[in-house]
Amino acid sequence: MEKSSDFMLYGRIQRQDKAALEELYDRYEKILFSFLVKMTEDPDLAEEALQEVFIKLWRGKGEYDESKGKFTSWLFTMARNVAIDLIRKRKKPSVPLEEVGDLVNTDSSVEELAEWQEQKEQIETAVQELSDDQQKMIQLFYFKGYTHETIAGICGIPLGTVKSRIRLALKKLKKSLHGVQERGAIDD
Amino acid sequence: MTKIDCEHVVDYLNGTLTDEDLHAFEEHLKTCADCRQIVELTGELPYLAEPIEPPIGMKARILTNVFEEEVKEKLQSEPKPKPKPATVPVIKPKAKRNWWTPLIAAVLLMSLIGNAYAFLKLSDQQEPETALREVDLQPSEAFNGTGQARLIREDGALDVVVSTAGLEDLQGDEIYQVWLLKEGQPIPAGAFSPNPDGEGAAYFSLKENTEGWDTIAITREPNAGNQSPQGNIVLSSEL
Ligand SMILES: [Zn+2]
Repeated sequence: MEKSSDFMLYGRIQRQDKAALEELYDRYEKILFSFLVKMTEDPDLAEEALQEVFIKLWRGKGEYDESKGKFTSWLFTMARNVAIDLIRKRKKPSVPLEEVGDLVNTDSSVEELAEWQEQKEQIETAVQELSDDQQKMIQLFYFKGYTHETIAGICGIPLGTVKSRIRLALKKLKKSLHGVQERGAIDD
Repeated sequence: MTKIDCEHVVDYLNGTLTDEDLHAFEEHLKTCADCRQIVELTGELPYLAEPIEPPIGMKARILTNVFEEEVKEKLQSEPKPKPKPATVPVIKPKAKRNWWTPLIAAVLLMSLIGNAYAFLKLSDQQEPETALREVDLQPSEAFNGTGQARLIREDGALDVVVSTAGLEDLQGDEIYQVWLLKEGQPIPAGAFSPNPDGEGAAYFSLKENTEGWDTIAITREPNAGNQSPQGNIVLSSEL
């Protein structure tokens, strides 16, 4: 059975339907929380960010419509920006640069999580097709939310080239992912 | 205005474009498949995160705070009836596990009700647009505590304000949930956790279906967000 679409749910939330907000919460709690923990490396801060995301949704700040692309892209981008704000305000010193970690943690076990296992495997496979530099670019920009200045410093590249490198890394990843998904469809 | 090109997708994702540039970039998105694909990728990138089990009780905390935040927003956006004495502290939005939020909201609300009540008196002669009704809530057997509910009808909406005292402490994820009932059918109408002194308050606004409620009740629920009662009735009254 087709569950009610995100867009329909969002419409009900705009009409202040609490049950709809709860349904959306249940639908995305785990992926959002996991994503926010990866970004903040702090479960308390991740919870604070998640709360802020749902406050924004409930108040109808930053309206979504279908011309803005997929609902999940919009929701995850909003969550990422909330997390970046909180990370920058956080008093705690940021993680030392050597410890920012890898984009992909290959020794993870996700067997028990069928619901996103396939999606995770696909994007991990796609990430492996990127160069180390491109992987690092996505990790520093997308997940760590570092400023262009910081990224230029870490990677030892001119500030003026940071944006285009980020864009190229994302573009390459999307292309690889598309390839992985096509191959997956053929294997099925 | 900046010249918009594909590199702005990075600023778009960071939410740092000005309104004008944002609008221009959204136009660019319509015609640029490359940028659209990058935006679409952000719906999949979070799946690189290690799956983490959400902490127990997080859902109840967050939903309670989200709906409480709404009360504060509403109160802050209403015109101030009359400056309150400076004893009402400013609440930072960091509402996590903030026991005081509902009470302070209730305190602020009292001044609004005062206003609504004054309005009611003034317009005594005419068809009142604002109506106020107040009932005492009776504790169920085996429960202590007292409470009052105020139902305010204004501009077609029904606002329900509950304040309580002497309620038992909650354990774990438990929450006190307010319900409105019509012929035995309940709908949730606000929830609260009492402060360490056992006092609590909740506010709820109904925009539709405002007529015909015959009972108000408060139950002690095992968790927040239930759409029908699972716990015992603590306080209640006919309306
Ligand atoms: Zn473009």
